[in-house]
Amino acid sequence: MLCSHDPVKQCNVSLWTRVMSGFLDGIRCGDCECNVDWGERRNAIASIAAGVLFFTGWWIIIDAAVKYPTEGEFHHAYHTCGVIATVAFLMINAVSNGQVRGDSYSEGCLGQTGARVWLFIGFMLAFGSLIASMWILFGGFVVPQKPAVYPGIAIFFQNAFIFFGLGLQVWAHRGSLAMCNLCSLLHCSYTIKSILVKISLRML
Amino acid sequence: MAGIKALISLSFGGAIGLMFLMLGCALPVYDKYWPLFLLFFYILSPIPYCISRRVVDDTDSASNACKELAIFLTTGIVISAFGLPIIFARAEVIAWGACALVLTGNVVIFGTILGFFLVFGSNDDFSWQQW
Repeated sequence: MLCSHDPVKQCNVSLWTRVMSGFLDGIRCGDCECNVDWGERRNAIASIAAGVLFFTGWWIIIDAAVKYPTEGEFHHAYHTCGVIATVAFLMINAVSNGQVRGDSYSEGCLGQTGARVWLFIGFMLAFGSLIASMWILFGGFVVPQKPAVYPGIAIFFQNAFIFFGLGLQVWAHRGSLAMCNLCSLLHCSYTIKSILVKISLRML
Repeated sequence: MAGIKALISLSFGGAIGLMFLMLGCALPVYDKYWPLFLLFFYILSPIPYCISRRVVDDTDSASNACKELAIFLTTGIVISAFGLPIIFARAEVIAWGACALVLTGNVVIFGTILGFFLVFGSNDDFSWQQW
């Protein structure tokens, strides 16, 4: 997404991140691509492609539900996987678009740390639903050798398409504050892990 | 004058598209009227883009987010309009020949709607007073 017109305000670190500020020096939040025309076209094309993938995924699962309506062929609880993936898609896109309103972001109800937690949960749900769809395909359909494997394949493709649509949106907005948040969050979690490892080694 | 010609050709395109849809429903060999549900999607498809153009009219960052959401929803409606006849045909509610006719009508009608936006939608006013 296009960078806000005030990079200093964008990168105003909160108290929590000030504690970790030594580790955050490598992350520069100010240098995003400000090329307006190509950025707009790229975002429009990414929106179209993400929309195609997302809705194709949902129509695949609708098709499977129509062809195999009984509980024995297609356990109805498996629909949860696609629903959670959709919730994750909406969560992540909500933050990515919220960053675009430059001034209003700093007065948003979540704040910077809240936005990072929101994104973290969103990405966790997205990855989790993709992994769960593979588990459902193999654990629920392939291994028990069900006569109709198509519902499992449909669940897998639904979640895969939603995930790729999400990936396209995230890639298209890679210059945005959302990605800065994600990078710093991953960097912070990596440093937290290394600190814990050091502490545990010292205790042993 | 060019506006009138474009309008006539676009309305011809719309009529051909609706003709394909009605052929897919009303031919005696098919005689199933389920594809008429697609009219709902045809009417719904220009609405997100129109709303986004009315709500924000300058190119600041908020309007980009609104336009992107509108493009996403419009793509979803178009995909749904293609998916529904295919699901009808796979569930054997309509015949595959009817599905093919309806999909052709889909292509023509969405081309007409896109042409309408390209020809008539690109002025800043978005007013109806040019002809």
